[in-house]
Amino acid sequence: MTRPRKALSFLAQAAVVALVLAMLLPVVYMIGMSFRTAEEINAAPLGLPDTLYLGNYARALDQMGYWRAVVNSVGITISVTALVALLGSLAAYPLARRANRFTKGVVMLVALGLATPPFVTITPIYVIFRNLGLLDSYPGIILAFTALNLPLAVFFYTSFISAIPRELEEAARLDNCNDWQIYWYVIRPLLGPATATLSLFVMLMVWNDFVYPLLLMTSPEKFTVMVSVYRFVGNLNIQPEMLFPAAVLGSLPLLVLFLFFQRRIVAGVTAGAVK
Amino acid sequence: MIRSRRIYLFAAPALALIGGFFVYPIVLSVQMSFTDFAGVGQAEYVGWKNYERFISRDRYLNSVWVTLKFTFLVVLIQTLAGLFFAALLHRMPAIRNFCRAALFTPAMMSFVIVGYVWQFIYSPYTGGLNALLEAVGLGAFSRGWLGDPDTALIAIVITHVWMFTGYTTAIFLVGFANISSDIEEAGRLDGANSWQRFRHLELPLLAPSFTVNIILSTVGTLKTFELPFIMTRGGPDRATNTLSLEIVNNLFGSYRFGFASALSIIMLILVVIVAVVQNGYLKRREENI
Repeated sequence: MTRPRKALSFLAQAAVVALVLAMLLPVVYMIGMSFRTAEEINAAPLGLPDTLYLGNYARALDQMGYWRAVVNSVGITISVTALVALLGSLAAYPLARRANRFTKGVVMLVALGLATPPFVTITPIYVIFRNLGLLDSYPGIILAFTALNLPLAVFFYTSFISAIPRELEEAARLDNCNDWQIYWYVIRPLLGPATATLSLFVMLMVWNDFVYPLLLMTSPEKFTVMVSVYRFVGNLNIQPEMLFPAAVLGSLPLLVLFLFFQRRIVAGVTAGAVK
Repeated sequence: MIRSRRIYLFAAPALALIGGFFVYPIVLSVQMSFTDFAGVGQAEYVGWKNYERFISRDRYLNSVWVTLKFTFLVVLIQTLAGLFFAALLHRMPAIRNFCRAALFTPAMMSFVIVGYVWQFIYSPYTGGLNALLEAVGLGAFSRGWLGDPDTALIAIVITHVWMFTGYTTAIFLVGFANISSDIEEAGRLDGANSWQRFRHLELPLLAPSFTVNIILSTVGTLKTFELPFIMTRGGPDRATNTLSLEIVNNLFGSYRFGFASALSIIMLILVVIVAVVQNGYLKRREENI
């Protein structure tokens, strides 16, 4: 490249980076505002924090019941992710390997389930849960999230298992492995990357969702992080000194996760979508 | 080789859960939609009354219209923005990964948090947007963005697009990466400039990425509930009252479980129709290119 073209290309790249960073301004704004007092914000809605005022955080941590909510969210998220990965891959194995009318029908039904808005099922789930005594219980919310995410998992694993060469299984079969052993010792280890992708996706969905826990949980000590953000911030007249620390505290765990697994998450999300 | 049928048992737990907490609820929803169930007590069969109520009130038809308008705007703007960033980043390998990650960051955040933060940005007195307009001398344009029926919907559209543009960009970038370098090289040798290569080579070859992006964002946006719920509660003057918001209001606001079920079924039908029509059209378009 000639020198003027090189300079031009550098300028163009700098402009694109600036534009992309401008998209992040609301996140920067959120973090900056969380360190300012209410008076500072009222006096100058755009300014930078004069000092790193931590009073907002102290109050939010205390009144949100943050740590308790984090424990709830982590527990629910991990349980759902593990259940979805195990049950989903287990179900996908026969569905991918035995191609007949029954399995094809099931896979198609599951794919249809993916298009179903969660809203269609929330009313009856509420009623079923009430009748089963599952409202406001951890097993209830875990079951609800698991069922919600299983169609995706089954669909995802089915297409993944179909790509595993059959020879591997037949070799294991010659060594007298039964179906369960083939699943556990041959298929399951090969699903590692698929499981990682799926798990990140499910974690994201479960951690960030607030509709299910909002509607299905009632005791404050069982609230997830997002429900406690929702309850803490309130609705009428949002107070910035409450909103911003709560927003940072709610986003931080996932943003940190994203920082570490960024490549894997983006690749996984797009692979799942392009397939 | 003996192939046991016991292998199907592997699918039993997952299918039982999907059946019990996914398929059965849909069936129950259909059934409840023909009753006046109010959450407690006996449900009385009322025939098509709930559906008639939906058709005869402007309010509900309006919520379908708002939903479609919202979805159309989001899909249009998000697809164009994603294409714009992907086309640029495809040509800039040095900054590609960083920019892709940065654009993706908002999608990692929860709707609750994004909704609240943007509600504050849009707020009339201490909001960031009006302060910004003031600072650059465009103070005349400042207003209560979410309180004005003319701007409320588009304000939520922008928030939604802001969240998911990184997603669209990432999918388009995969599409760009799948274009064979021979084709690009041939275009270059024929003297096509960057714009010509984009317009006549890449754009047609991106047809499958368009299909994926448009379908994903349409299905995702049609069922949107969180942003209008947090940011406007459907107001002002029902300008942002989506169908999903109407479902939740009927359910937990006025305990009309039967009617909310009818609305859910209508929503399911709407999503399926839009997805099928769109899929058919986009697949045909792919083949014609």
